[in-house]
Amino acid sequence: MAAVQVSEAEKVYILHGIRDDLRVDGRGCEDYRHMEIETDVVSNTDGSAKVTLGHTAVLVGVKAEIGKPRPAVPNEGYLEFFVDCSANATPEFEGRGGEELGTELSNTLYKVFNNKHSVNLKSLCISAGEHCWVLYVDVLLLQCDGNLYDAISIAVKAALFNTKIPQVHISTDDEGGKEIELSDDPYDCMRLNVENVPCIVTMCKVGRRHVVDVTLQEKACSVASLIISVTHKGIVTCVRKVGGGSLDPESIFEMTEAGKRVGKALHAPLMTLLQQEEDLGKARQKVGFLG
Amino acid sequence: MLKSKTFVKKTRSGRVMKIVREHYLRDDIWCGSEACDECKQESTVLQQEACIESNLCSYPHYLIPDTNVVLHQIDVLGDPVIRNVIILQTVLQEVRHRSAPVYKRLKDIMHEKEKHFYTFTNEHHRETFIEREPGESANDRNDRAIRVAARWYSQHLKTPKSSTDGLKVVLLTNDQGNKQKAEDSGLLVYKCEEYIKSLIANPDLMDRLALSSDDKNEITSSKVLFPEHLPLSRIQTGIKSGSFLQGTFRASRDNYLEATVFVQGEGEDSTEVLIQGLQDLNRAVHQDVVAVQLLPRNQWVAPSSVVLQDEGTAKDDDIEEEEEEKVLRISAHEAARKPTGKVVGIIKRNWRPFCGMLNVSQIKESTRHLFTPADRRIPRIRIETRQASTLAGQRIMVAIDGWPKDSRYPNGHFVRSLGSAGEKDTEEEVLLLEHDVPHQAFSQAVLSFLPKMPWAITPEDMVRREDLRHLTVCSVDPPGCTDIDDALHCRDLENGNLEVGVHIADVSHFIRPGNALDKEAASRGTTVYLCGKRIDMVPELLSSNLCSLRSNVERLTFSCIWEMNHKAEILKTRFTKSVINSKASLTYAEAQMRIDDATKNDSITKSLRGLNKLAKILKRQRIEKGALTLSSMEVRFHMDSETHDPIDLQTKELMETNSMVEEFMLLANISVAQKIYDEFAECALLRKHPPPPPSNYDILLKAAKSKDVEIHTDSAKALADSLDVARVDGFPYFNTLLRILATRCMMQAVYFCSGMDSDFHHYGLASPIYTHFTSPIRRYADIIVHRLLAAAIGADSTYPDLMDKHKQSALCINLNYRHKMAQYAQRASVSFHTQLFFKNRGIVNEEGFVLFVRKNAIIVLIPKFGLEGTVFFDTKDKTAPNLVFDEEGPTLNVEQHTFHIFDKVKVTISLDDSNIQHQKIRMALIDPVIPGVSVPAPDIEPQAKKPKLD
Repeated sequence: MAAVQVSEAEKVYILHGIRDDLRVDGRGCEDYRHMEIETDVVSNTDGSAKVTLGHTAVLVGVKAEIGKPRPAVPNEGYLEFFVDCSANATPEFEGRGGEELGTELSNTLYKVFNNKHSVNLKSLCISAGEHCWVLYVDVLLLQCDGNLYDAISIAVKAALFNTKIPQVHISTDDEGGKEIELSDDPYDCMRLNVENVPCIVTMCKVGRRHVVDVTLQEKACSVASLIISVTHKGIVTCVRKVGGGSLDPESIFEMTEAGKRVGKALHAPLMTLLQQEEDLGKARQKVGFLG
Repeated sequence: MLKSKTFVKKTRSGRVMKIVREHYLRDDIWCGSEACDECKQESTVLQQEACIESNLCSYPHYLIPDTNVVLHQIDVLGDPVIRNVIILQTVLQEVRHRSAPVYKRLKDIMHEKEKHFYTFTNEHHRETFIEREPGESANDRNDRAIRVAARWYSQHLKTPKSSTDGLKVVLLTNDQGNKQKAEDSGLLVYKCEEYIKSLIANPDLMDRLALSSDDKNEITSSKVLFPEHLPLSRIQTGIKSGSFLQGTFRASRDNYLEATVFVQGEGEDSTEVLIQGLQDLNRAVHQDVVAVQLLPRNQWVAPSSVVLQDEGTAKDDDIEEEEEEKVLRISAHEAARKPTGKVVGIIKRNWRPFCGMLNVSQIKESTRHLFTPADRRIPRIRIETRQASTLAGQRIMVAIDGWPKDSRYPNGHFVRSLGSAGEKDTEEEVLLLEHDVPHQAFSQAVLSFLPKMPWAITPEDMVRREDLRHLTVCSVDPPGCTDIDDALHCRDLENGNLEVGVHIADVSHFIRPGNALDKEAASRGTTVYLCGKRIDMVPELLSSNLCSLRSNVERLTFSCIWEMNHKAEILKTRFTKSVINSKASLTYAEAQMRIDDATKNDSITKSLRGLNKLAKILKRQRIEKGALTLSSMEVRFHMDSETHDPIDLQTKELMETNSMVEEFMLLANISVAQKIYDEFAECALLRKHPPPPPSNYDILLKAAKSKDVEIHTDSAKALADSLDVARVDGFPYFNTLLRILATRCMMQAVYFCSGMDSDFHHYGLASPIYTHFTSPIRRYADIIVHRLLAAAIGADSTYPDLMDKHKQSALCINLNYRHKMAQYAQRASVSFHTQLFFKNRGIVNEEGFVLFVRKNAIIVLIPKFGLEGTVFFDTKDKTAPNLVFDEEGPTLNVEQHTFHIFDKVKVTISLDDSNIQHQKIRMALIDPVIPGVSVPAPDIEPQAKKPKLD
């Protein structure tokens, strides 16, 4: 992961600030940085979203394609994740530099999102055992300024919310041959229920405090971090320790609790925002990448 | 301004793709009206004084037809009366999508300047572009786009200061809902019928209106006669699963209740499915692409040999039909049964306007009449017209509009009249139309690609060309030929060898790939020669002037030059683009005279003699290799110079010079074929002539055997040799007859793309490879070959389509089709002129030979006229004589006389014009005399205008 060098004096300054619940940029320990979300930014995907969190920027696109269901769960569709760590984000990603991080991120995303508790996978099934929708979720890191997990998870949720899957009908003929028919109305499409899609909250232990949404400088001062995925109801679906360092059970418990609290609070405004944007319809002014 | 168009598409492999296209909107699209001073347009199309006199619209107005009006009423729109029409891009795109022929016609109309048709690209206009709303179907969106554009026009034309003249736009639609919506938004809108009816002084336009489905109920009884056609989606799934078969519907010529569907299988295995009975034919028309369902095996039937013609006037009830259908089903042998099916749906209609004649309804005031097409495979069509009395006795064209399931006949509308039946011009037009020979004048778009006159060779033209103007080149052609595409030269070289050059008009220099001229030529495929008329493949400026290698003018050519020794062995071959100046255009006879005239010794004559000498050697070599010399009767008419009626018939004579030119053309073709194949193994356009299957020779073998002559057909060489020695004493014509028969056994030679086939052999010419290079003025294949050769020698650049074997293969299919149709048209023209000839002559007695023996007839060839006719022995109204047919002979016993092949007979020839649509030459037997069968010689009984035999 992208890292910065921080001098001892800086470290002390950051640590002391956090101890007093006053971070370098003026936030409290459980405050997020300024966040911007825009959906439907890539027209040739079925759903897309761009999220900036501080200087971290990620773009997520969802492509729906027809595939074969997994034999173990014939009546469910599934999601696939791919994270592209573009060298635009940081020079370290150049060449194959971002590969390891990309794999780690996509594995985590797969664990968090591809289960029937977060997305109704049954709704992705077209005909059991034969056809289902496969949602290819492509994540592109545009800029890294810490807290990738949270930004990506919010972008994934927004992109899934934005996803419009073309409506298909299965017609059967006399001999039982099945044929997929597409509706010719481009507006005739299926939306996903993203209510239960969790968001990831990364908690970092800095000094004795548990901090959310750390910047790269703060990250350099942290002992260890934990990612916690939380649904809108405050249910924790996944906890994972990432990076080096060690945590005592006591703080893991405390961090989970804090993450739960922060995550739960994150969902409601996110959903209202997405809904508002959706309601604007064609009147919405697109910002895109140059705005 | 940028918008994007998004739609979802299913790919062939079953995947779903989202496709996004960028769509740019602009504000510099002008309205095209003369009356507008707001738009900064350079030239206008629509007139200010747009007057079509109409009861409904007394003011000047522009018409905006919607898609369905264009699709169905293109005949009306094509009328010169209809001018100042705005064709919206939305409409144009939809038309293109739905019907290629209508689209082409619309494009042609738009190119005509005096029609004042303007295309308004409303889809890219900032103010008229609309996006599809949720819940709106594609059709509704297009209708709305049309309304929006119409409204834009009506507002736009209101603004100019000269608004006093009150220019308005009128929307034409037949859709009730659309009309209502348009009226609500304050547009002027009429139904197409309403509008056309309102036109003053043009009542005949009414007849050309296609019957729209609204009127259907009043026309036919409500009784449903046919099963419903399945929707396309069901058909497609059916075809995929194999429960239906897709094929081309081919109606039977002899029996209107029978048809076959030709199902193209993979590779070679194609099947034919038999369809019998009106119900199962289910409104399919000849050449439609249909889906058929096979019936269970126990319902299979055998094709009937009964001749049934749909006769009688407008029988709307199907009582009689059932009886006729019974006739069909009786004689079904178990073994003769064929796969039988029924038509369940139509995949693609292949309706074109049909030529034919009107059967005027017995009821005097009736405006509904039946129309009988000239082609027997097309059902009769019901049309509505007020001018039945004028149209009776005329050849007319009718287009089918639809075939509702409760109507016995399809509904159609009158398109145009071709003239009185039986007249030369009319009949010529009919035969061109019926053989699908494109013969309209070349459109403006095509003509615009012609070189500007006066034309001269420029220095740029000379860059890659060899200057051969100094050579003594001459052309030898039939008399009266104006499209001379080949010229020859021969001269002695210093090393004692001979240099022979074949110079072919460089048509590809003028016709550049991909432009309208090229496309038109590719679609026409070939020039069609009728008796006394020529339908050009390329405009006359090229065919008779710039490309014609006339004497004493400089012309661009493509030359094939050989160095040969005196044994006619090729030592060197080269190809080059060149410039020549022909020294003489000779006819075959003139050339022959020069060669024979020992006193002449000028350079042209010397050149001809050299060529002639080499040609003889070449011919001998070719025949030794097994090339066939076959024979067919070609006749020439001597035309009356004033009336253009044939006054005499003559079989064509062949001179030595004919074969001289032919030899060198063959040689050039073979050399070029080799060169382009070496250079472009995948995409060379070649011509092959497959050997006939052995069974084709049966008739020839039997015929020869009857005269104790043996013919070997194992190879072309064996056939040629045995034909050469086949002689019967006291029967000098026997050999020619045998060769005529042998010609009938042959297969058609075809064009093909070398990358798509492995067998290149040309059977008739005994050449391993062959192509057409020498007549680019009259054959499109030669133009392609020229381009390939030019690319091969680096004289011209290539282009993608030339190197695409699939595209070239598709082109070959068209060329083969056009070629075949041109031949049929030619034959039809000859037979029509023969008819004219006999019409003027009255009844003639002639000697002839039996060419074929059939179950109930003999086919007689009259060598004097090159005419073939059938003498029938069984007739409907007379008791048939005792006929015994022996297939082995084949011989036919009529009463006590036996007919063999090659028997000499005497017949009377007369014209039977009892059926004005299908006039025929009738032959009746005079000698040998068979009581009750033969007729007395007519000069004893001159009043017998009507032949005795039917």
